[in-house]
Amino acid sequence: MPIQLQVDQLSWTINTTSILKNISFNVNKGEVIGVIGPNGAGKTSLLRCITNQQQNIRGAVLNGSVYLNNKKIKSYSPKQLAQHFALVAQKAEAIFSLTVIDIVKMGLLPHKGLFALDDDHDKAKINRALVKVGLVSAEKMTFKQLSGGEQQRVLIARALVQQAQILILDEPTNHLDVYYQHQILDLVKRLNVTVIMTVHDLNLASQYCQRILLLDQGQLIADGNPIDVLTESQLSSVFKLPCQVEQRATGQDPSSKKPRIFFSLPHDQSIKISEGTQDE
Amino acid sequence: MNKLLFILIALLLLTLASAIAGLHFGPAGITSSQVFQCLLGNCEDPVSQMVIWQVRVPRVLVALVAGMGLAIAGAILQNTTRNPLADPYLFGIVSGAGLGATVANLSLGEHLGIALPLAAFLGALFAIAIVLFIAKILQRMEQLLLAGVAVSFMLGSLTQFILYFGEPFATNRVIFWLMGSLSRVEMSNFYVIGSVLLVTIITIVALHRHIDALLLGDESAASLGVNVDRLRLLMLGLCAALTATIVAYCGGIGFVGLMIPHIVRQIIGVTTLKLVIGSALIGGSFLIWVDIIARSALANAEIPIGIITSALGSIFFLFIMIRTRNTN
Repeated sequence: MPIQLQVDQLSWTINTTSILKNISFNVNKGEVIGVIGPNGAGKTSLLRCITNQQQNIRGAVLNGSVYLNNKKIKSYSPKQLAQHFALVAQKAEAIFSLTVIDIVKMGLLPHKGLFALDDDHDKAKINRALVKVGLVSAEKMTFKQLSGGEQQRVLIARALVQQAQILILDEPTNHLDVYYQHQILDLVKRLNVTVIMTVHDLNLASQYCQRILLLDQGQLIADGNPIDVLTESQLSSVFKLPCQVEQRATGQDPSSKKPRIFFSLPHDQSIKISEGTQDE
Repeated sequence: MNKLLFILIALLLLTLASAIAGLHFGPAGITSSQVFQCLLGNCEDPVSQMVIWQVRVPRVLVALVAGMGLAIAGAILQNTTRNPLADPYLFGIVSGAGLGATVANLSLGEHLGIALPLAAFLGALFAIAIVLFIAKILQRMEQLLLAGVAVSFMLGSLTQFILYFGEPFATNRVIFWLMGSLSRVEMSNFYVIGSVLLVTIITIVALHRHIDALLLGDESAASLGVNVDRLRLLMLGLCAALTATIVAYCGGIGFVGLMIPHIVRQIIGVTTLKLVIGSALIGGSFLIWVDIIARSALANAEIPIGIITSALGSIFFLFIMIRTRNTN
């Protein structure tokens, strides 16, 4: 598989705090990569830096390089970057009564010139995206009327219209129930594009990602397939919790074994809940 | 799409009908057939010819472009700041214009000529410059509205201080001007407001997709290649210039920018092109009708137009609040 994205010794420091430390990895075309790690590990910061979307924060210094198709990411204009990367945020707050089609149509922006109106080709593109995410019948509904899972599908449809080669998802399953979590990740996996996503649920990451990057305190601790990365020793050390990993088949196919992770809090670390008395 | 086209044609006809109605109302007692004859260049009575072409046509045209401009400025500010309560008047523009007009009135006396609109325009730009300066210090565009309100009060108090110690006639002139009126407008005013409006509309049409992208948040827009801060600054500058031009000639006409986009969103849609076209047509028609009421409601006097728009706007505002509460 050809290398699409190269991250070379990337460090991001704000004042004296290191957010990302010397991170290097390559992304091959068509890979589905999950970025995991505890809160504050630098997962979202990594996504921002590799897409050149890091905010202009006072005192922030970015070192190292990111190459997209062998060209430094900084040499791309924001519009060109939007043609390569599509971002699906955790949650979008739509103001006013934005409809599904209004949002999906936004994906046309990086490909349209000033004054350009929608043509039949654009309409077909929008329709194809809506078919792919199964929301054709909802195109005139407002975004606020949809469930969390449907809202995520709308944002994915927008990303499809954007025709980016790399889909970036920041916690796509947050706020979703189990059914929608699987529905969204299954959809993402079947899109046949390169995917880099941050995931909190390690079992979902194990099930849907071909490759996993494990971050801790801004450092890349492990990079590889789920079986190699999701090990008891690594996970216990990073998440500071005892953990058990079992290899289980996820579907009908017994050869498709994936690690299943179970954490448990040591008894002496559980928070003591004492009942107050009326005297107190 | 057909429904949208139907609504737009209906609004276009409404605007045309409003403009024709605007030409009919007035104390001169000109009949409908005389109005049409004069419009077609076959006027028999030179007085009617003068009233139609030098008084009513400029007045209706200025009402049309001022209504369009205020509504568009409100719509764009609401979409770019993602704040449904954003209105050009909340950015201190009227207070700045009022201060400029006050200074001009008190320093130049009665024979102001072009100095009044010019001073008002400069005052409005001064207000916007302060608001932007504060927003830059805060580094948060979302606090622009709050900065605008603060600047508005600051310049308003300065104006009142000057007026309190000023000459009573000049004070009267400023107060009447601040209430808003189209009674002294000329054709040249239409050309100036119309030109600024045209530049604004062309820019909005060029950037409509960028403005739409902001509706889903700054981060989302940036990921689509939009330079969020620059776009917002450009739109704010354009809306400020447009509003300042209108205020300079017509005085204070409040609530149009707040009220009209709310109505348009309900019947046409929320994305920029639909919103701007709808706001232009409804805003233009609305101000023509308000002006008709202003000059026809009382037998021997005109009501300042700003009083009517503020009265209607505040009722509308409360109605929206109650309706939103009930919906929730």
